[in-house]
Amino acid sequence: MGYAYYVGLAINGAVEGLTIGLAALAINLVFAVGRFPNATTGDLMTVGAYAGIAVQQSGLRSLWLQGLAAVGASMALSLALYLFVFRALRGRGMLAPLLASIGLAILVRSVLSFFAGHDQYVFQLPIVRPIMIAGIPVQSYDLWLGGVALVCVLLVMAILFLSPIGRQMRAVADDLTLARTSGINVDRVYLVMWLLVGFVTGVAGMVLGVRTVVMPEMGWNMLLPAFAAAVLGGVGSPAGAVLAAMVVGIAQEMSTPVLGFTYKIGLAFMVLVVILAVRPAGLFGRVERVR
Amino acid sequence: MLAYITAVAIVFCIYALLTLSLNLHFGFTGLINFGHVGFFAIGAYAAALCSLNGMPYVVGFTAAAALAALAAWPLGLLALRLREDYLAIVTLAFSEIVRVVITAEEWLTNGVQGLPGIPRPFASLGIGGNAELAYLALVVTAVVLAILLIRHLVRSPFGRLIQAIRDDEVAVKALGKNPAGVKVRVFMIGAAIAGIAGALYAHYMNYIVPDQFLPLVTFYVWMAMILGGAGSISGSLVGAGVLIGILEGSRVVRDLLPNVMQVEMASLRLALVGLLLVLFVLYRPNGLMVKRDES
Repeated sequence: MGYAYYVGLAINGAVEGLTIGLAALAINLVFAVGRFPNATTGDLMTVGAYAGIAVQQSGLRSLWLQGLAAVGASMALSLALYLFVFRALRGRGMLAPLLASIGLAILVRSVLSFFAGHDQYVFQLPIVRPIMIAGIPVQSYDLWLGGVALVCVLLVMAILFLSPIGRQMRAVADDLTLARTSGINVDRVYLVMWLLVGFVTGVAGMVLGVRTVVMPEMGWNMLLPAFAAAVLGGVGSPAGAVLAAMVVGIAQEMSTPVLGFTYKIGLAFMVLVVILAVRPAGLFGRVERVR
Repeated sequence: MLAYITAVAIVFCIYALLTLSLNLHFGFTGLINFGHVGFFAIGAYAAALCSLNGMPYVVGFTAAAALAALAAWPLGLLALRLREDYLAIVTLAFSEIVRVVITAEEWLTNGVQGLPGIPRPFASLGIGGNAELAYLALVVTAVVLAILLIRHLVRSPFGRLIQAIRDDEVAVKALGKNPAGVKVRVFMIGAAIAGIAGALYAHYMNYIVPDQFLPLVTFYVWMAMILGGAGSISGSLVGAGVLIGILEGSRVVRDLLPNVMQVEMASLRLALVGLLLVLFVLYRPNGLMVKRDES
């Protein structure tokens, strides 16, 4: 267990962190624009992963096609959730949409497990020999998945910071009334935001599914680490959320030899509680006062 | 049949205690607590460990209430500093930390294998009914005491302060009252009631494992509270009743539909809980027992 072991853990943690980062990004979008912690984030990922598995079961072996199905399914569900539930709850404060999102998360998961059962599925991948980089064995799939996650993050950042709709989205996040008064089509902003959330969670679900196993609880289990990252990074700072998620992911993996597997899961929750106690604004966020 | 009704009634009372105490947190004080199952778990393990080590039941119940209240103390302090959405996430994380600690500290809790053979009060009365009825009397007494306590709290000057804080915290401060201390105390009292519920649960089930204390239990209780109506004591009882109806009713339905598998029924039961939560938030946010124009 030399340094190569720890570097291996760090690389594993970084890819894990990027996956959490995608979920944190999705949480951050809804937190900033829709103003509530969205508990369906994890289950949107699960639905994406199952859509990918469904394509695989139908005999299509292309990972890209499976990924496309994952993104499509998550986007469709995200849009449906907005149109049928969250749109009606706009302006009802934070708690109503949060409770609804918890109810929807439970509903989505139970419908999924009703039809797909509790069996675990895996994406069939050809076995590849790990490539050696400076004497450290690295799974080439990890590099691929990390790359896909990174591209997805960059794409969302580009939309947020370089496109007109991204600018409008940030305006709505800053001040809804002011944004509406200055002629921004708020309905369109929400629509695009939820589509973006579906896109990000679809990619996240696929990446998570390929790295681990596909089961009904897979997304829900990502929720608290992702909340931790979103809060650690600071609400309203998408880059902060992704960076924080990397920190959470690497810290979780690196702590495994010391803390053991059970406490590894607890680490993210501890980070969350400590950060909120000490610095509620997160590492990169604005200071938000109580009430 | 009597044994079945008694069993359902006992479980109903335990959920009623949880719903009532959550209602004290949220309905009366506005504290958004998504970690209620954490206090429930602490109470259950405290009581189980005390009685497994040969201590009297009274010690176990006292430890359950005291430890749950103690765990709530730092959370109550945090609640003063945090925005409500952050409090929701932190309390959820708290309950998961409790579960992780219970799972990991095997020397104390026996980890995932759980604690078997927890003794039950009145077991000497004989298994065939009397023991169960005596235990039912115990849990009913606990519910009645909790209702009296909450009613007393709400109607006392302290209670008027609680509701004033929920409705307008700044105005309460301007009157020279200290909302901070009140919130922390309410948080601790509610947690203690949930701890008692945990103790009653552990003694009734005889066997507890960490997986009985998933966040899902918290959401069950939230559904019961929202369904009955936040801030309504009778609502808590109705909500807990509907919840038990769903959880138990699906078992009855399964007996009528032998083709449906057990796991599928569990999925349907869960789907119904989720759906009810969404529908009530959308169409009847004040619950069944609270009039529309109130609150």
